[in-house]
Amino acid sequence: MANKSVMWLAFLLVSLALLAACATLQGGYQLPAEHPEALGAGRPTCTECHEARGEQFNYQRYDHSVFFTENHLLAARQGEQVCAMCHQTSFCNDCHATRVELKPSERHKTETYRRMPHRGNYLARHRIDGRVDPTSCFRCHGNPKTARTCSPCHPN
Amino acid sequence: MGYRLCSFSPVFCLLSLLLLLPALAPAAEFRLISDSILRGFESNTREGDDFALPVYEYLQAEVGETGPLTFHFYGWGRLDLADSEYFAAYYGDSTAGELLYAYAEYRQPDTSLMARLGRQYIFSGVTSESIDGLRLDTDLTPLFTLSAYTGRPVSLDIVDERDEEILVGGRIAHHRRDLYEIGLSYRNLETGGGRESVGIDTAFFLPGGVDFSGFSAYDLGGDGWGEHYYEARFDLGPLRLRPFFERYRYEDYFNAGDNTGGPFIFLAEIGETLTVFGADALWNRDDWELGVKGKYYDYDERGDSSFFLSGLATRQLEGLSQVGGELGRMEGDGSQDDYLLARAFVYWDQIPPQRIFHFLTGDLVYVLYDEDIYDEDDSLFLSVGGGRRFMDDRLELRIAADYSYDPYFDDDLRGWLLAQYTFDR
Repeated sequence: MANKSVMWLAFLLVSLALLAACATLQGGYQLPAEHPEALGAGRPTCTECHEARGEQFNYQRYDHSVFFTENHLLAARQGEQVCAMCHQTSFCNDCHATRVELKPSERHKTETYRRMPHRGNYLARHRIDGRVDPTSCFRCHGNPKTARTCSPCHPN
Repeated sequence: MGYRLCSFSPVFCLLSLLLLLPALAPAAEFRLISDSILRGFESNTREGDDFALPVYEYLQAEVGETGPLTFHFYGWGRLDLADSEYFAAYYGDSTAGELLYAYAEYRQPDTSLMARLGRQYIFSGVTSESIDGLRLDTDLTPLFTLSAYTGRPVSLDIVDERDEEILVGGRIAHHRRDLYEIGLSYRNLETGGGRESVGIDTAFFLPGGVDFSGFSAYDLGGDGWGEHYYEARFDLGPLRLRPFFERYRYEDYFNAGDNTGGPFIFLAEIGETLTVFGADALWNRDDWELGVKGKYYDYDERGDSSFFLSGLATRQLEGLSQVGGELGRMEGDGSQDDYLLARAFVYWDQIPPQRIFHFLTGDLVYVLYDEDIYDEDDSLFLSVGGGRRFMDDRLELRIAADYSYDPYFDDDLRGWLLAQYTFDR
């Protein structure tokens, strides 16, 4: 156990040294920390201003169409930095959080233009959606803390 | 108080101290957003009627904007002013709260190196987890990106004797951001009962506006592929098509060891595999968006299938104003899985400033079930609301009233009031 700890510590130190050395190199296309211009309210369409595949980046992938709320899984997995240019983590936490008590459509009740999950009376509908596709529930409710929403009716 | 803000006390204390620094450095940029939500509703229980009046406070703070060192905080708390039985029975306490994130972030100028220390959300490769710990991100030459993190999963701090487990993981990606990206990720929850898995994510951006991307996760403990998710995107001018494929092997997908939420544990033992085929199409012209989505669900063990089809239309008007509707149909092999869903919404903010409300909203959701649930075959949700801004838009008040009925509750009436204040310097 001690040897394993020493190995992990050595690995961490070497990794930090490597990171420090490589981070000083000039990277390729470097995403800015923030979008350079203030965007108007509403869903942004990147390709309104950018070429779909221009400037060493795929802007089309991040066009916020009406389906983007449901379809941003892969784009966000690979491009967390892109999301961070416009969104604080709190924006993502409205749906993706370790535990929030108010469901997203309750938290943002008057933002009806956002396709937030569980809008309306979801209690009856979730019986069917959960039978059909429990994997979609697991993404947000799958760990012990988030599952406390479910445990009053679905105990361990 | 019936809740803990943060169980990782040393980090929380340190960050609390760091967050106090702006008070000592008046020139630091500082932004605070407070959302206070008051809800009122009556709960009908076997013991009689019970009125609940919960107030929620969501507090978000960002310190420093242009400097290399910034601080970020977001949490919420709830207090039931009516001290009703509803929250005591459902959540175990009339008070609750959670620290969603609190971290210090350092970005080295003119490089891509980023470090975060504290409670933070990791959404990278095979990991989607909130941790109390450290994360490092950097580009390694123009063609590689590396991310590494370690910390204690916040999800486990309520599990007995499990609040000292450590998660380690990372992702390395090779990319030309305009052509392709291939990422390899790994995560391991140290000590027994955890989950060790690897993931591969790919994206290829081909000529003619065609993209292929996907993700697969392999459970090293269960020795099987738990998840496959792949999609293609075709850009045909105003029309965009997205066919997709998903496959989940329950034994591996739901097996997160002791980090699996209770209601899902049994799914890892039923030997099922779910395959999903689907596509969505979106036509965008001027101010209109017309979309269609279809999903076909097939089960290896159950031997049946389900199908969901929906269509939607939205019209973008001036400013944020929008109006839209959606119609969807779910059909399973049995009528117990069949329902029809309809939704209509409106958001209108083109109101003269001298009026009472600066914006008005409306939302209606109706569901018709083919098979009765508790002797009821339909549900209705109707919400109307509005809001007004004050103090040069720093303060916004929003109000809404809901009426609903469904198989579980008759004639629900609920009120909702939100006050959002933004302070920045």
